[in-house]
Amino acid sequence: MNKKLKKSLLYWLLLSPLIILILFPFAVMFITAIKPSNEVLAPTWWPQEPAWRNFIDMWAVTNFGNALWNSVYVSVLSTMLALAVSIPAAYAMSRFRFKGQGFFRQFLLVSQMLSPIVLVIGLFRLVVWLGLLDNINSIVFVYGAFNVAFTVWMLQSYFSTIPKDLEEAAWIEGASPAKALVMVFLPLALPAMTVTAIFSFINAWNEFVIALTMLRRQESYTLPIQIFSLVAGRYTVEWHHVMAATFVATIPVAIVFAWLQRYLVRGLAIGAVK
Amino acid sequence: MIRSPLTNPYVLILPGFLLAAFIILWPLYQLGLISLNEVNRFGQLRGFNDAENYIAVFTDPDFLGALWRTAIWTGGIVIGTLLVSVPVAMILNDDFYGRSIARVIIMLPWAVSLTMTAIVWRWALSGESGMLNSGLQNLGLIDQNIQWLARASTAFPVQIMIGILVTIPFTTTIFLGGLSSIPDDLYEAARLEGASRWQTFREITLPLMKPFLNISIVLNMIYVFNSFPIIWATTQGGPANSTDILVTYLYKLGFRFGKLGEASALSVMMFALLLAFTILYVSLAMRRDSK
Amino acid sequence: MRKLAFTTALAGAAFLSLAGMAAAETVRVTVAEYSSKTGPYFEEAAKAFEEANPDADIQIEVVPWDVLLQKLTTDISGGANADLSIIGTRWLIDFVEQGIAAPLDEYMSDEFKDRFFPVFLEPSVMDGKTYGLPIAASARAMYYNKDLFEQAGIEEVPDTWEELAAAAEKISALGDDIAGFGLQGKEIETDVYFYYAFWAHGGELVEDDGTSGLDSEAAYKAAETYKSLIDSGATQPGVTSYNREDVQNLFKQGKVGMMITAPFLSNQIKEEAPDLEYGVAAIPAGPDGDRGTYGVTDSIIMFENSENKELAWKFLDMLFTTEWRAKFTEGEGFLPVNPEVAKQPAFADNADLKAFTDLLPDARFAPVIPGWEEIAAKTSDAVQKIYLGDAEPKAALDAAAEEINGILGN
Repeated sequence: MNKKLKKSLLYWLLLSPLIILILFPFAVMFITAIKPSNEVLAPTWWPQEPAWRNFIDMWAVTNFGNALWNSVYVSVLSTMLALAVSIPAAYAMSRFRFKGQGFFRQFLLVSQMLSPIVLVIGLFRLVVWLGLLDNINSIVFVYGAFNVAFTVWMLQSYFSTIPKDLEEAAWIEGASPAKALVMVFLPLALPAMTVTAIFSFINAWNEFVIALTMLRRQESYTLPIQIFSLVAGRYTVEWHHVMAATFVATIPVAIVFAWLQRYLVRGLAIGAVK
Repeated sequence: MIRSPLTNPYVLILPGFLLAAFIILWPLYQLGLISLNEVNRFGQLRGFNDAENYIAVFTDPDFLGALWRTAIWTGGIVIGTLLVSVPVAMILNDDFYGRSIARVIIMLPWAVSLTMTAIVWRWALSGESGMLNSGLQNLGLIDQNIQWLARASTAFPVQIMIGILVTIPFTTTIFLGGLSSIPDDLYEAARLEGASRWQTFREITLPLMKPFLNISIVLNMIYVFNSFPIIWATTQGGPANSTDILVTYLYKLGFRFGKLGEASALSVMMFALLLAFTILYVSLAMRRDSK
Repeated sequence: MRKLAFTTALAGAAFLSLAGMAAAETVRVTVAEYSSKTGPYFEEAAKAFEEANPDADIQIEVVPWDVLLQKLTTDISGGANADLSIIGTRWLIDFVEQGIAAPLDEYMSDEFKDRFFPVFLEPSVMDGKTYGLPIAASARAMYYNKDLFEQAGIEEVPDTWEELAAAAEKISALGDDIAGFGLQGKEIETDVYFYYAFWAHGGELVEDDGTSGLDSEAAYKAAETYKSLIDSGATQPGVTSYNREDVQNLFKQGKVGMMITAPFLSNQIKEEAPDLEYGVAAIPAGPDGDRGTYGVTDSIIMFENSENKELAWKFLDMLFTTEWRAKFTEGEGFLPVNPEVAKQPAFADNADLKAFTDLLPDARFAPVIPGWEEIAAKTSDAVQKIYLGDAEPKAALDAAAEEINGILGN
């Protein structure tokens, strides 16, 4: 056995307890999702007859398509908002020294400390005052704002690793700062922005408390709220549909991870956290 | 350098600052206001009552229990995650067969909304109808069903474990980034000098990872302190408030009992607590040099 | 010239349609979700109403029960509440005291009042004014598994708690995963599950002198009854991790001999476990023949700050006609609150429902007092401690009673 194979086996062995624990809930989800409705309550590890139909039924019963669209809309837009605002801010933080820089950084950290549950009433009144209640654009706005701290931090870390010399060279050659920014800096920063965008997307995709408070009609529900509404407080819960919906909701993000994982190693926070 | 709005840092950070401030400061102000007032269950202010709300919270026996448990919850998850993520990150940083798959699997908990993860676990932990018990029985590990969520002594550790599982993806990601930034030559040099694996780890890896360890501790502390869904979906802080942490206690106070004044006071207290801890940790453990 | 006339006509039509839209009055209704049928039912009713009233626009907002109170709280605090909403009647007192709910008497003709059984209208009457209409009503009775009874050799359905204990032990002896009595020890209505035995032993939730009835002999005996059931293995293990739905799930799987719950279980069994042989009986009585069932109503209220009260009332009027009531009540598995609905064969010939309606004379409703949610929570906490063996019945109940007296006194 060559060395790499031996190493791989050892590593997989070491990782296996963790992997089992991680995959356990997914197994539960999947297996419950394919159980016929009269077997759902029995804790068997494989149904007598897999009911693959459940995935199709679930789509209609849980109004999945609509909630999926809402989630996509909200996640993409809020990410774009957060990025639009944090790219300049991160650029400033990484390129310049200025008074209030430390304060801004502390402020961002502190803004993460308030749990949404705590802010919910105040936030709600704010949204009502803006007349944006039950409008998924209000969610876009709130998510974008909450994500700003995280995205600025991440972007700033990346940006700090991009050497200034390239831009300075461009300035010396007579390019305006704007041109230097677009032609020199942005291409180099693209991987960083992509990774940050994805994190922000995932945060928005899975967010729950704020959406629960701000959205009222079923048509505006995002995916987590839609699935939750199937479970919360009903006299009887259709678990096979719930599990099927949860499982399917995971797939887009899992695919993104598979694609993303090579970027994550390269460059996430080189010198970032100092 | 040519002066233009694009090179003025204040202009650049202004939109970000405004957006974040708007969404945080106004609700925070509302919170402070409500906490100092007598307020009916619908959030309508009825008049100042000084610190009555604060005192009421402080003297509630459930508050102290929740406070203590929050410390255990936060400490348990943050430290537990740290202990698991460091070796896991080191493994994932090395080249081996199936590494990409392993990385994706480790990241999977992040793909599910926390609330749904909690609901799935609750479903699996059911005493008589849960797949965890049936699985363990099938494997011959137990011969009687364990009633996981029936009492705090079994429920709380399980909740902490779930908390660790969902925090690992983020933490491992940060550590992977940190590990990949350590130049290989350092390891080469150490090997040439005959350093043992443990020595290498202690003298090279750990010190260079320190900033990453610190930032993950601070951020995780903040997220875990306020984490609501896991405990709520599995036990709602019960039975008899024995798995309550501050944030679930807060929810009950505000939205079940309708004591919004006290709930707001509690929120302010929680915020102050978290702020104090973070400042303390940052000043003790992290040496900041702004780049 | 023709072009001008055409454009004017077009503009005129556009203007008229806009005006038409502006004239459409909107009534928003917050609907609490009981099951997957709730939303569709209300949407159907809304459509029917809109067809009969072309200027009306009814918007239905379905909210899960678990977060209903939270949602209403935030809505009201932001002045963004709907025009009508379903609420738990036990919350009504807070809504009335804060001037949130509007009195409905001016809209209610005598004919309208006659549509209801008086016992269901009463809980919504405060200070002589009616603040809500009973939209759902339920009581509790005991479901039992006929197969398990046969296997255990039990011939008569237990009618007292002593008989129940004996029967439960026999059933539990049938197998490891079989339990005689399904006991709920988690989440909402954990306290109510305790009350079934409490009332049977002659207990009163609030004594005549206004103090809590938990520090009474009746309470101690009831708690001891449950604790001995748990200790002897006559209930499912891990009581405090089972909410009502969990216990119902066990019953539907045929793993529980007896449990106490509401009429909707019959509907669920029909759909999910059609082969289950079950029966419905009265909640067991105590040594002196006392027995009690928990009566629950949910009310639909009109908000005082609604700007479309007339139209909202019209919608309510339609909802409470026999046809629509029958549909809702049957679909969700509730008890009929309207005499006309009760006469319909689906209800009159329903043997299961009869057991529930027979118990109505013994029905106790949650006391209409502020702070009831907190009192219920304190009671639940106390009985949970008792079930776990973390506290002795007398000590736990006395402590709870003291705390509750504090709440009552305020």
